[in-house]
Formats: sequence, C-alpha cells, structure tokens
Amino acid sequence: MKLRILALSLVSVALAGLQAADSPPVGSAAPDFSVSDATGKTHSLSQYKGKYVVLEWFNPECPFVKKHYGSGNMQKLQGEYTGKGVVWLSVDSSAPGTEGNLSPEQAQKVMKDWNTKQTALLLDADGKVGRSYNARNTPHMFVINPEGKIIYEGAIDSKATPNPNDIASSTNYVKVALDESMSGKPVSTANTRPYGCSVKYK
Amino acid sequence: MVNKGMRATRRSISLLINLLVAFLGANVVSAQLYQGKQLVQAEAIANVTAIVPGEPFLVGIRLKMAPGWHTYWRYPGDAGIPTEIKWQLPGDWRAGEIQWPIPLKLIEPGDIQIYGYHDEVLLIQQITPSKNLTGPSAQLAAKVNWLVCEKICIPGEGTVNLMLPISSKNAAANAELFARFQKQLPKAPSANFSSSWKKDADALLLDIHSPDLASFSSLEFFPSPKESIAVGHPHLESRASDGARFRVPLDPSNSAIKTLPGLVVFGKSGSNPERSAWDISVAEQTARTNDRSFLGEFVRFLLFGFIGGFILNLMPCVLPVISLKIFGFVQQAGQSRARIFRSGLAFVAGIFVWFLGLALVLVGLKSAGREITWAFQFTNPYFVLGMSAIVLVFALNLFGVFEIFLPQWLNRGATAGASAHGDLGSFFQGIFATILATPCTAPFLGTALGFAFTQSATTILLIFTAIAAGMSAPYLLLSAQPAWLRLLPKPGPWMVRVKQLMGFLLLATLLFLLSVLGAQRGVSALIWTSAFLLVLSVACWLKGAFVTPAARIQTRVTAWAIMIAIVLLGAIYFIGDKFQQTSNPGSATLLADGWQRFTPERLASETQQGHPVFIDFTAEWCITCKFNESTVLETEAVRGAFSQHQIVKLKADWTNGDPTITKFLKQFGRPGVPLYVLYPGGAAQPYVFPELLTKNIVLEKLETVNHTIASQ
Repeated sequence: MKLRILALSLVSVALAGLQAADSPPVGSAAPDFSVSDATGKTHSLSQYKGKYVVLEWFNPECPFVKKHYGSGNMQKLQGEYTGKGVVWLSVDSSAPGTEGNLSPEQAQKVMKDWNTKQTALLLDADGKVGRSYNARNTPHMFVINPEGKIIYEGAIDSKATPNPNDIASSTNYVKVALDESMSGKPVSTANTRPYGCSVKYK
Repeated sequence: MVNKGMRATRRSISLLINLLVAFLGANVVSAQLYQGKQLVQAEAIANVTAIVPGEPFLVGIRLKMAPGWHTYWRYPGDAGIPTEIKWQLPGDWRAGEIQWPIPLKLIEPGDIQIYGYHDEVLLIQQITPSKNLTGPSAQLAAKVNWLVCEKICIPGEGTVNLMLPISSKNAAANAELFARFQKQLPKAPSANFSSSWKKDADALLLDIHSPDLASFSSLEFFPSPKESIAVGHPHLESRASDGARFRVPLDPSNSAIKTLPGLVVFGKSGSNPERSAWDISVAEQTARTNDRSFLGEFVRFLLFGFIGGFILNLMPCVLPVISLKIFGFVQQAGQSRARIFRSGLAFVAGIFVWFLGLALVLVGLKSAGREITWAFQFTNPYFVLGMSAIVLVFALNLFGVFEIFLPQWLNRGATAGASAHGDLGSFFQGIFATILATPCTAPFLGTALGFAFTQSATTILLIFTAIAAGMSAPYLLLSAQPAWLRLLPKPGPWMVRVKQLMGFLLLATLLFLLSVLGAQRGVSALIWTSAFLLVLSVACWLKGAFVTPAARIQTRVTAWAIMIAIVLLGAIYFIGDKFQQTSNPGSATLLADGWQRFTPERLASETQQGHPVFIDFTAEWCITCKFNESTVLETEAVRGAFSQHQIVKLKADWTNGDPTITKFLKQFGRPGVPLYVLYPGGAAQPYVFPELLTKNIVLEKLETVNHTIASQ
C-alpha cells in the first residue's frame, strides 16, 4: 500500500516536472488566485466568473512594456474592453529587489502617470500567480472566457520588437481573440509565442 | 608617353587610397551605453583584405557584451528577441542568412530558459558583391538591432560600417576570429543519423538515433520554431547509448505542427565549451513524418502504389496505348465471355510480369549497389532505340504490313487451340502498355516508389505488385463484367480504319522516342537509327509478303533468312558501328530564356546567399515534364512572377541520367523526373511541388519567397 502511494507520488512529481515548463493549455480551466492590488483590495479569478478576464503581465521598467504603454496602445485596449465589461488585470510578478518590483504606492503612481485603464494592477511579488500560469514575459497575455477557460495565451501582437512604430502594422492577438469569442466564433489564433523581458521571479 | 605617365600616376593614387583604407581599417564601431556603462559593442569584420568583384566573402557582426549580459539566438527561448541585421547594400549585392553559432542555454529564476550568447559572438553572413565594381573601395553598412539582458533588458541598435578596398585579388583576414566562431556553427547531421517525430496530446516527441552520439554524456535539443510558435522546454525523456527521446511541450491548439527545426547539441559534459551540434532543420525536410506506425505507412504506400498504377492508365505516355487496348476489347466483345475474361487475365498477367520483372531487376541492381531510379531505362539510349524498334514494328502491324502468326509448336501447346494466339497477344500487349507507362511517374506512384527504393527486396516486390494491380484493375473489371463490355461498340469494318489510325498514334510515339534519342545523341544518331528502322520495316514487309501460312516452305525459309540477314547486318552496321560512334551532344540542348544549368555547386552558392531558387528537374523523354513546361512554367504569368520575385531558375536535365542529378532526385525521395523544387530563400525549407503543376499552385508558392537582403 505504502509502496503504491510512493509510486503514485513519484509519478505525479515526474508529471509536475514535465508540466513545469508549460503554461496551462488553451482550453483548460484558468488557475484561480487571490491577490492584492495596488490599493490593497483582494481580487480572485473566481469572483469574475461570467465575465471575460484579461491577464497582462506587467513590469514598468521593461522596454517591451514601455513600447505598449509609451505609445498608448495598452491603455487604449484596456479602455476599449473594460468599456465592454471585460475585467482587465495587470499582474506584476517582479520579486522584491528585482526590476519592476513595485510597492503599492509606486504602483499607484505608475498607474496615474501612465494613465492606465485596467480594472486593477495586481501585485504578485512572490510570483505565485505568475508561476501558476507559467507567465514568462512582460507583456504575456492570457484571455479567459466567462466559463473560466483560457481561450488565448501568448504575445500581445504579431511584431516581436521593442519598436513602438511596429504596433500599427501588427495584428493584436488579444483584440482578435476577444472580438472573435464575444461574437460567438472560435478563437482563430489561440496560442502564440509571447515576447518581451523575462518575468523577474526570485 | 604622356598617356603612360598619367596611367602610372592614376595607378599609384588608387594604390595609395587602398593602402590608406587598409591601414585605417575604417570599420565603424557602434557602442551601446547604459547609465555610463558600455553594454554592447557592435562591429563589422570581413574575412578578406579586399573585395574581388563578384566573389563572395564573409562578414561577421561581432557583438561584445559586458560581463553578465547576453544577446539572443535566432530562437530566444522564453524571453528576448533575436539579434537582427539589416544590410544596406547596393542593388545587385546579396547578403546570405546569418550563420548562428551554437547558443548557450541560460536559465533564469522561475525556470525561464533562454538561448543566447555571453561575452562575444560573431554572426557571420556571406556577402556577394556585384560583378561590376569600380572605384578604389566600397563601403558596406548594416543596421543591427539587438536586445541585451542581464537582470534587466535593454534594446540596442547601431549602424556598423565596413570599408574595404576593391581589388582583383585579396588575402584572408581575421582568420583566427572566423575560425573560432565557425568551429561553433552547427553542422549537418552525420550520415548515420536518423530522427523521427511523433505527436502526443500536448507535446511533440523527437526520437534521434546515431551511433556517433554514444560517447557524449550531454545531449540536448534546442528547438527553433518559426516566429510566433510557442513551445515548452524540451525534456530529455530517455537516453540510450546511441539515441534519445526528447519531449517538447506544445499547446494542443498548434495541431498542425508535426515537426520542429532545431539543433541536437552534444558534448562531453554540460559545461564543456567543446560542444557540437547538428542542425536537424535540413534533415527534416526529407524525413518522413512518423505519426503513423510503420505498418500504417506501409499500407498507405501500397494504396498509393495501387492508385498510382491506376492513374498510369490516364497519363499522356500511355494515352496512345489505351486506345490500342480498348480496341482490343472491342474486337473481343464479339467473342465468348470466357474468352474475353481469359484475354483480360492474359493482359493483366502481362502487366504483372513486367512490373515484377522490373522489381526483380531493381532488387538485383540495388543489391549490386547501383544508383537506381524510376525510368532509368529511358536514360539509356539503347533502351530508347529498342523501344523505337518495337513501336515501329507494332505500327507496321497495325497498318497491316504483316500479321503475327505464332509458331506451330505454340499453337499445339495451347490447350484451347486458336485461343492461345489471342491470349499471348493480350499478354504482350499488357507488357507493352506498361513499358510505355514507365517514364511517366504519376503523382502517387513517385511517392510509393521513392519509399520502395529505401526498402527491402520484399517491400519493393510488394509495392510493384500493388502498382501492377492498380494498372490492371480496370481491364480485369471490364473483362470480368462483359455486361459493361456490351456497352462498347459492335465490331465491324470500321475497326480496320481504327486500327490503322492507331498505327499513326504509334508513329507519333515513335517520333517522341526519336526526339529523345536526338537529345541524347544528336542528329547523326537519329539518322543511323532511322536507317536501321528502315531496314526493320523492309524486314516486316518481307514477312507480310512472303511468310504466310499459305506460302511454300522454301519461300518462307528464304524470306526468313533474308529478313534475319538484313536486320542483323543493319544492326551491326548502323547501330553497332555508326550509332555507337555518336556521342552525347552535351550542351547542345539550348536552355530557354531565363533558365540556367543546374549544378549542386550552383544551388549551394545561390541558397547560401539567400536567393530564392526554383529547380526544374526534367528530361527530353518526359512528357509530363514537357506538358508542365508548356502549360505552366513557360506561360507569361508564371514567367512574369519568376522575374518579379527575382527567382533563380535552374534546369536539371536528366535526359542522359546524369548521376549528380540522380543523387538529388533521391534526396527528395523521388525516383525520377519530373520534380519541381522551390528554395524560398533564406533558411526556409525547400518546397516540393506536385508532379502535375498548375499555374495557381506555382503562382501561390512564388508569393512566399522572401528576399533576405535584410535578413534576421
């Protein structure tokens, strides 16, 4: 009996090891979380069941994040979709002492200075949320449907460069996924390679 | 006198400039500063002292990184951006693909794996200068974009310049630097390497095998998926002494992806700098997708063989013969059902005997180590000559110049008396039809055969049996179901006319065979062949006129003697002597406008420079090739598209069975022509077109070529 449990746990450890490098696959249930935002308010994924949720990994120092905020592209998207009832959660998983780690005050200042339009900026300094999604980049985007399933995972758009001039000519995968899903169509591009800086875990 | 002096002065001035350029080095270094610290220094370095017009040379972009900082490989991994080099070159200069050294796999907190370079990297590209260069020197400039990261990431960019003198000769430069980084380039896998991909629910499984890997303790797979495709971390799932299995997680939504390009990296130990890598991207292009079991694949190939055999009936080469066969059935439609079925069986037996005979010959030659390819017979002029003789004799028979009477002993030996004649005739018709069919590799057949040539003798025999079954299916069906035969017209005097008309179709076939001979051996070979054919015709006439069952024995014997004598003498003189002396006209076949002769070296140099290349593997005797050329490749639209995309058009003429071309065909798993291949430029894998081209397929594919003057 004991042996069997041991074997089982070994197998599950091995499986976990295999899965470590992989984000939860598109179509699977998005891992739940509970984490505080810049204002100290707690957000969990389960509380947004029935709504579309966008997760956006964030690091204000990262040139690729600056590409989309400096150009106003990210704020525009946030504004457009929160206006349509989408919950937009930016997540900062930078560990303390690493680039982009924010105190609640610093986070609020960035939001104000950059005039961001997301629902909330979640502070995930211990990287729990980031690791459960295997978020690897900033920005790394996840779109979750009202049933709580991941319908898109990957890059924000099709041009993997730090150059803001490329935004106009690129395809925004998040926008496409949201638009398609909201009009009842299957998401045509559900998984892409995210690009950007690495998430600064400890 | 004055003139001479001026020339001398000019020469010394240009020499002076050359020297100045050489001494100054004149390459501009670009440095990236961040908070007062230099993170990256970029510089262009050539491997030659001067540019020789038209002669390719190498330029490396050297990036020197501050300690602890790294730039990225062509696939950056979980984060990062590959370094990008955009050359600003004059019009007809070309820059090849970046040759990326084997990267380091770096692991950041949170199990973020990236592929990149520490300290220093040289990204080498081949530059082909214009053939027409004037002036004392040339300046090359490239815009380089990179992302450099340590704990944080900073994008950088810079323009690097390289000034080199132009000269008629040059010497090697910076040899140590280039050698150091060229040693770190991935290589093509060794000959005994094999790999296959399998697909799992959420991963791709890569199985590799090579005895050469046994002595290396560290073995890794660095994937290099194309842009926008996300893959997980490759995981070494199992390791045998001479092979391994890697699991590469892949999101289930990427269902279309069945293989990944990448590097198999191996070394004595993980941290040992003496690592080597095999780039399996190239090997994958011909590798069979192994998502089915061998048995499944085997059955699939048998099925392809069957379908291919069936389609052979519809190919242009067989078309004239089809009429012949249908005519045969019409003739038999007036006879008893049993006889019709027997004729059908005999015809089918002919098909089987030919294909199995061919299979046995192939198996024999294969074991003898010869390069065997489909339709290889047609590359032999004596085979074509023999075919011409057979076709002419058949034509004369159809014209009624002579009748075929079988020897008495055969008649006696046959169980049902006169029926043996018809059966034997059908049998040889079956053989004849298949002989004519061989040069047309029907689309599926090519695949099945390509597979067969790599297989065991048993497999070859089985696949050829499948082909024979496919080709004979319609005839077997028709002869077994006389009800359908009754739908065919009733026999009558019109049949004689049809028969004669068939004779002309055979003459047309003869014309085609002669054109092949002409291409192989030139005009004089044609003349001597025709002379022999004339003698053969006279012999046939003698047979028709004097060797009849009604004729006296002496007449028949005399006629036979004369026939044999003139055919023998004709063969000895016209073929054994005159024809023998003719030789391959070599470059006599003119290349159509815009086409250039294919050589493997030519292909290598064009692709190395990143040029898109289209290769037409063709032969004079290949009607499918000619058909494709006139209806697709030489149409205005397609020609226009070729020149618009600046695609180098190479023609590989296999009329005489050129062994270097045979090798290439084999590489693509094809036993014969036609074969059309597009190298879209850059490192992209070559695309193999179907054997029957359409304008749409070609035009669509040409749109995908990418010009890599500005290569990533």
